[in-house]
Amino acid sequence: MSLKHHLISPLIGNNPVTLQILGICSALAVTTTLSTAITMSVALTVVLCLSGGVISLMRHHIPPSIRLIIQITIVASIVIVIDQFMQAFMFEMSKRLSIFVGLIVTNCLVLGRAEAFAMRNPVLPSVLDGLGNGLGYSLILLIVGALREFLGTGGLMGVPLVSTVAEGGWFEPLGLMQLAPSAFFILGLLVWLVRVLRPEQVEQPEFRLKAAEDRRP
Amino acid sequence: MTGWLLDSHLMQQRSGWTPARVTLAQLVALVVPMGVSLAERGSAQIAVLVTASITCLVWELAFDLIRGRSLSFHTVTTALIVSVLVPATVPLWQIAMAASFGVVFGELVFGGRGYGIVSAAAAAAGFLVFSFAGAGLSEPSESMALATLPGAVLLLWGGLISWRVLASAAAALIAAELTRQGASGLPTVLATAPFGLVFLVSDPVAAASTQWGRWVYGVLAGLLIVLFDTLAGSAIAPAAIVFASLLASLFAPLIDHVTVTLIVGRRGRRHG
Repeated sequence: MSLKHHLISPLIGNNPVTLQILGICSALAVTTTLSTAITMSVALTVVLCLSGGVISLMRHHIPPSIRLIIQITIVASIVIVIDQFMQAFMFEMSKRLSIFVGLIVTNCLVLGRAEAFAMRNPVLPSVLDGLGNGLGYSLILLIVGALREFLGTGGLMGVPLVSTVAEGGWFEPLGLMQLAPSAFFILGLLVWLVRVLRPEQVEQPEFRLKAAEDRRP
Repeated sequence: MTGWLLDSHLMQQRSGWTPARVTLAQLVALVVPMGVSLAERGSAQIAVLVTASITCLVWELAFDLIRGRSLSFHTVTTALIVSVLVPATVPLWQIAMAASFGVVFGELVFGGRGYGIVSAAAAAAGFLVFSFAGAGLSEPSESMALATLPGAVLLLWGGLISWRVLASAAAALIAAELTRQGASGLPTVLATAPFGLVFLVSDPVAAASTQWGRWVYGVLAGLLIVLFDTLAGSAIAPAAIVFASLLASLFAPLIDHVTVTLIVGRRGRRHG
């Protein structure tokens, strides 16, 4: 396991969203526009790197019985700093992301990587693992955010790209794209696409249809 | 959810219903409502029908080619239901998108008809209402209610829809409407419900598949229709039936699961 591997593999092969199915909640909530998706991606990547590094530094001193409490405390401290930073320097964006920056504390991805990786690996791999997972998460968020903003409003980053019907043009925005279910559909399609390209990610079904399955050519 | 006996070969031997015959029966049941809708709304409705049918068939063909199966044409029934639900005032490309969504996400991604959990036509209509501002569904008339009857009788007689679902949904709907606004407006209200009840709520794919679960599912669907209905007094909003059918069908697997657990538990106690 080289250092590079920790950084590269979470991008597509072991992507936190499409393979580990972590961090879905925020992926639904902040992807109505591309700009919120970008901000959230940066915030989460920073938290992942820092928490990975700090928890990895302390890993020999954390008593196993209360490790979750300590991990959450560390993550929460970092998130509060980032939240305060955003309120101070990018107040508008902070208002648009509302509670979701604060909710990074409970993001399953952060705790998942802390528990699964940073608790049992040295500092540098832990930081790289955080960075890789943050980038993998960001990649999915950017795709979903770009699709939802473009199809839902006809623009990107708040800049209109095609003229909508309301402005006398031809593009009819898809209202569904601005609602949470569309993020589920896009995520589902992405997971499907990745698993078509990489069949080794396909899970074994928990239940099989008995005779119908056998007769299928 | 069609549930516990998914061995289609066994089902065919027992009941004589092959997938092709089921599709044919549903098509026959839909012919009269389709004719009424064409007669009432004129030739523009033909364009809706053709668009929906072509869209559905293209998607089914694409999935059948990928999966190496033969074309079963069952998505045409979805297209027919959609074209009864959707008025000709909706642009055709929106109908094509809605039909694509309904057929692909409602049933084809699950593996075809009978493998999904919601009615594909309801998914298509729901997508249309959610996505495009101003795209309403057409109000079913009283003649549509009459036109639904022969198809409903055929499907009930063939066992393709459950009388338990239909009866409990209708009873819950009538009871809720009675408490909401009394008996005066009831006939006109009820005239708008039968098509949705028979072809969306009672769709065997969407409905519960245990006998007791069917009663619960029907009552749930009937109450949800009244809950979602925003046109109090005049008629039931068609979208209310669509969304009630979608939401109720999401609960159908849970209802079935609870029913089976209860029955198994009772048998366990009885026989030790």
